[in-house]
Amino acid sequence: MQSITRREFVKRTALAGALLTPIPAILEACSTGTPTTTKTTKLTIAAVQGAEDGPLKKVAPMYQSQSGITMEIVEFPYDQLFEKLVTTFQANGSSYDLCMMDDPWMPKFGTMGALQPLDSNFGFTRDSDIPSIVYDVGTWPPPHGPVPPSEQGKSQHLYGITIVGNVEMFMYRKDLATTAPSSWDDVLANAMKFNKPNFYGYVIRGKATNPASSDSLPILWSFGGDIFDTSWKVMLDSTESIDAITFLTQSLKKYAEPGAANIDAADRDRLIAIGQAFQSTTWPAEVTGVVEAQGVSQVIGKMAYIPIPKGPGGKGLGMMGNWLLGIPKGSKNGSAAADFIKWLIKSDNMKTYVQNGGIPTRTSLLNDPTLGQANPYFPALAQSLAAQPNWRPRTDQWNAVETIYGTAVNQAVAGLKSPKDALTAAAAQVRTAMKQAGYPS
Amino acid sequence: MNVLPARTSSVRVGRRRLSRDERLGYLLILPSLGAVFVIVTIPFVLVVIQSISSEDGTLIGLRNFTRALANPLLYDAIRATAEYTVLVLPVEILLGLSFALLVHRTVLRPGLRAAIYVLAILPLVVPPVAIGVVARLIYAPGYGVLNVILERLGLMHQEVNWLGDPTLAMLAVASVDVWQWTPFVYLVLFSGLQTVPRESVEAAQIDGANWWAQFRYIDLAYLRPLFVLIIFFRLADVLRVFDHVFILTGGGPGTTTQLLSLYMYRVEFKFFDAGQAAALAVLVLVSFSLLYSLISRALPLERA
Repeated sequence: MQSITRREFVKRTALAGALLTPIPAILEACSTGTPTTTKTTKLTIAAVQGAEDGPLKKVAPMYQSQSGITMEIVEFPYDQLFEKLVTTFQANGSSYDLCMMDDPWMPKFGTMGALQPLDSNFGFTRDSDIPSIVYDVGTWPPPHGPVPPSEQGKSQHLYGITIVGNVEMFMYRKDLATTAPSSWDDVLANAMKFNKPNFYGYVIRGKATNPASSDSLPILWSFGGDIFDTSWKVMLDSTESIDAITFLTQSLKKYAEPGAANIDAADRDRLIAIGQAFQSTTWPAEVTGVVEAQGVSQVIGKMAYIPIPKGPGGKGLGMMGNWLLGIPKGSKNGSAAADFIKWLIKSDNMKTYVQNGGIPTRTSLLNDPTLGQANPYFPALAQSLAAQPNWRPRTDQWNAVETIYGTAVNQAVAGLKSPKDALTAAAAQVRTAMKQAGYPS
Repeated sequence: MNVLPARTSSVRVGRRRLSRDERLGYLLILPSLGAVFVIVTIPFVLVVIQSISSEDGTLIGLRNFTRALANPLLYDAIRATAEYTVLVLPVEILLGLSFALLVHRTVLRPGLRAAIYVLAILPLVVPPVAIGVVARLIYAPGYGVLNVILERLGLMHQEVNWLGDPTLAMLAVASVDVWQWTPFVYLVLFSGLQTVPRESVEAAQIDGANWWAQFRYIDLAYLRPLFVLIIFFRLADVLRVFDHVFILTGGGPGTTTQLLSLYMYRVEFKFFDAGQAAALAVLVLVSFSLLYSLISRALPLERA
């Protein structure tokens, strides 16, 4: 056998390495892009980590045992899920067959053309037991309200089915107040009445960006304010909007917890659950996860849940925060993914889903007294859904707008700016952002 | 004398032929150069292209740069980053230097030195997200450990709003950085102190040099290049600070703790303005390259 020198050995190894390294990538490249015609054996769901996907994780194995299809749920924290989905959609990736989507993401994904239409492709139709607003929120372009300029004239399709029927509501200590607050004036009066050292009359969720935005929007709308009018004109600096934010950040703040500018949902729930606060806005997941959770909360059975109180104009507007399931355009298992969604929203299966902690959209389940006993907020949620809650503006620029608006509200909560100055500056920033994105402003 | 023929053939490069050893050398560094090209050069070129393109890929010149520079939030972010840097860098260097000198001069047992070494490494290996969560438990309104301790010690009677007050919020996020990165400064400077020749110190002591004189005329001369190294690394790190600020304050109150990294993240992933984000990345890269070049000129990397 011919011997080689060590130098020659190193040289040959380096060359061999350089030549062999790309082989797996080449093989992978050759294998992708060829649509599979075989039966679906696995469905991969991109899901949000937390209370929202917990029930889904519990019922997915049931579908697996019935259908023989392996269900894989890949979880991401809220922000990362959005970023992951956007980058996957931009690359038309086939990593996920189903994706969980917060409803404000629908405009972005709708505008991108990132999802497969559920109605025309898979035969989804509306079910009378599910409120129409729930279907509307998964439809793009939006069936009502302003439509982004780039989307006007496009045909509407259903792209997402709600699996978490979140609507923002209001909670208060029913063991202390005998009557429910029907207006924001009542809320303020109660805050004043029950506020005392180490017991706060109201809890503001005032942390910058999304928390401050979510907490304040129902008040903004109930006072007649808004972010845009029906023709995308920015309304943040209108008198009604300024009055609403002044009410929150000055009138209510007098009776709110210290450090409200840094309070998020978990901090709010803690204050309520340990009996240190009287009232606040809330989401269903906060109720089941903390406020009414055995072994966690000290106020179980002491809280009442009602739709958002009325503003000066006599209207109280809750905010939708639905989580939907959609099928990415890149998925090669669209049909099987659609079958799973259909299975999940069937009445019996949704009941099982609710018994495992899910938040339903079916009116029959929301009004089911047995389920209502374990979920005291169900009647309020049913009322909120029936009252056609508002959704966040249906624009693909929502993330930018929410960041600007949520920062402005946070500045007002922290006392860095007056509500008027904060909203005027935010309105100018939103106008610039929207103009750059091609909206009239 | 015999003249041996060249062992192998050679290749002409310019006027000179590469020897077999040189060719092998080039061959061996080729994978590394390829990796640098793929990981660094290609993304940088793509970012530059993105910074002069619109969303649909049309070349639009410097319009993204104009938009980036016209955005008042950029200047808020620069101000916040500058404040953060001015707070953390001097404190970390002074504390790290103090610890290094203290251990170098007072701790002589190797076992104890090794234990301190391990302790100093711990903050560096803890994930920044975990540090952010722990820091939130310390500073959070309502249940923060710091407020509870201060209250029990009788040092305050009203809760301090660590994360909601602009000045205190900046101090709170800076304190986390100081906790995590002072050990890095300590480790670098302590290793520098190990290189100071014992004879020089003994000679100075015989000549009657006091503690300060020993430090100023001997130790400092050996540590000077390490200060440059520390400033280089820490400035780069300050630009990347994200996790603990995001968890502690989310950039608030308002935009007072919205550092450049957090701002750029929001431009890219909240505003989805890839052009402006790319322009910001190029601006930051160019301005910090200039800054680094000035620092390296001001402080010689190697002693003459």
